[in-house]
Amino acid sequence: MNILSTMNIGSSALSAQSTRLNAISSNLANVNTTETPEGGPYRKKSVVFRSAPAFENELTTREEIQGVRVDRIISDDSDPKRVYDPSHPDAGENGYVEMPNINVVEEMTDMMTAARAYEANVTSIKSSQRMAMKALEIGR
Amino acid sequence: MSGIDPIGQMPGLIQQQTAQNGVREPDGETFAQTLTQAVARTEGLQDKAKQAVQAFNTGESQSLHDTMVAMEKADISLRFMTQVRNKAVDAYKQIMRMQV
Repeated sequence: MNILSTMNIGSSALSAQSTRLNAISSNLANVNTTETPEGGPYRKKSVVFRSAPAFENELTTREEIQGVRVDRIISDDSDPKRVYDPSHPDAGENGYVEMPNINVVEEMTDMMTAARAYEANVTSIKSSQRMAMKALEIGR
Repeated sequence: MSGIDPIGQMPGLIQQQTAQNGVREPDGETFAQTLTQAVARTEGLQDKAKQAVQAFNTGESQSLHDTMVAMEKADISLRFMTQVRNKAVDAYKQIMRMQV
């Protein structure tokens, strides 16, 4: 059923956007993290999306119409911010600490776009549901 | 007068005609089969929704939207089945009301 395919596509987008939101909240949580298992300060994470078929054996839907999935999560390798704080345990010899390369304002705007994209996909699922309900009204 | 066929041959002819024009088994799917498949599909979606809710409640799955979408699919599917049932019952009633 095509209506259910719309829901699958929407659902894949919701999963993708919530993974993106996970990455953003991870970035915000680690805005002051100077130590990581791989060494050095935390590095900004971002997600890469890839289109993907979102149907389980749906024959009625065209192949070109695809859902989305998170392909990979990448680390931003740009230089860490250097902050002068000699009292910090991770400070170098010259008193500078390497802080994560995260811009809080950027993360907040990313968070808003992720939330909006999520809302948009919820709206598409809702409208497919409304369409299904309208179709059922034919029989009434 | 020898050209008239004996009446004894007639029943065979009548039988042949009923076989041609009378009720016979349809070649493709019967309505009952279609209905059974539709019910099975609805049941499958209901089952998926149940599993999704269970997985979410036990903390196995973290995805609220997948649970909601599964429930919504089950809901639409059940509503559709109800409509199919209403139609079938309507058709039955129409036939029962028929003047004989």
